[in-house]
Amino acid sequence: MALILRTATRQGLCSARTHFGVVYRLAVPMGTTAKDEMTKYWAKNAQLNRPLSPHISIYRWSVPMMMSITHRGTGIALSGGVSAFALSALLLPGSFPDYLDLLHGLAFGPALITASKFALSFPLAYHAFNGIRHLTWDAGKGFKVSQIHGSGYAVIALSLLTSVGLTAL
Amino acid sequence: MASLVRVSSVCHRGVKPLFFRSAYLIRPLAAHKKDQDHSSVFTAQIHASPSHYAVGSKSASQHWTAERALSLGLLSLGPLAYFYPGTVMDYSLAAALTLHAHWGLGQVMTDYVKGDSKIKMSRAGLFLLSSVTFAGLCYFNYHDVGICKAVALLWSK
Repeated sequence: MALILRTATRQGLCSARTHFGVVYRLAVPMGTTAKDEMTKYWAKNAQLNRPLSPHISIYRWSVPMMMSITHRGTGIALSGGVSAFALSALLLPGSFPDYLDLLHGLAFGPALITASKFALSFPLAYHAFNGIRHLTWDAGKGFKVSQIHGSGYAVIALSLLTSVGLTAL
Repeated sequence: MASLVRVSSVCHRGVKPLFFRSAYLIRPLAAHKKDQDHSSVFTAQIHASPSHYAVGSKSASQHWTAERALSLGLLSLGPLAYFYPGTVMDYSLAAALTLHAHWGLGQVMTDYVKGDSKIKMSRAGLFLLSSVTFAGLCYFNYHDVGICKAVALLWSK
């Protein structure tokens, strides 16, 4: 019964909106928004307490996969470093040159100094170059599998070269 | 499926095809998608623009664009800081670095943190961390040598 009523109404809507033989279909939103559906999905699944299927423990690792998580890892490490630096600036007494002198006083060998500089440069270089790779993806380019691998290797090569260059500065 | 298409083109002639119409009423969005799959050129399925539906704001897509713009900005700040160090560069770096880290860590959180209260708590923690980081960097720029000089000094070792 309701169906007939609704159909009649819709037909009324239909004829009222006929322009140049084309019907503008105004769909009354009887669905939910994406946000609602996402919330419902998570509410239902959190409540059901389902176990998570094995994924990274069983799927074969690939270079793109490893590069992606490395991008995330370097990002977290770099921001952690920046935050640690900022916190030290707020909490520790004295100034930066004082701490540098302290560090100089520890008399590290050149190998350790070079290694530390490389350890600082590489995550930055990698994250920057892979970031460019991400931005080209965001622009819609380079999604062919061969391109993904190719750009990946280019990022690794460039990162290594740049890190070496920065270390030598 | 082809009949569904013809039904719609016939609707303005006052025909009342009861059975097929119900599909539109119940899930209009789903019906739209099915018809598109059949590349129905003759259909009157003119999509209303998203603003006609009860969709949320554009803030999510604007956030996305802002993230990419900031990333590009930060990429250029790197070499620029090398060639033009100074106070303006110090504060620009502080702001750009902190915001990029804040948004980046926010994405990591969105990926891994589930549950309303957990999300709220980690968001609060992240906000606190970013605020403290920015404050610390600004303090360093003001009271100490500044970011560019600090990197230069550290590297001169």
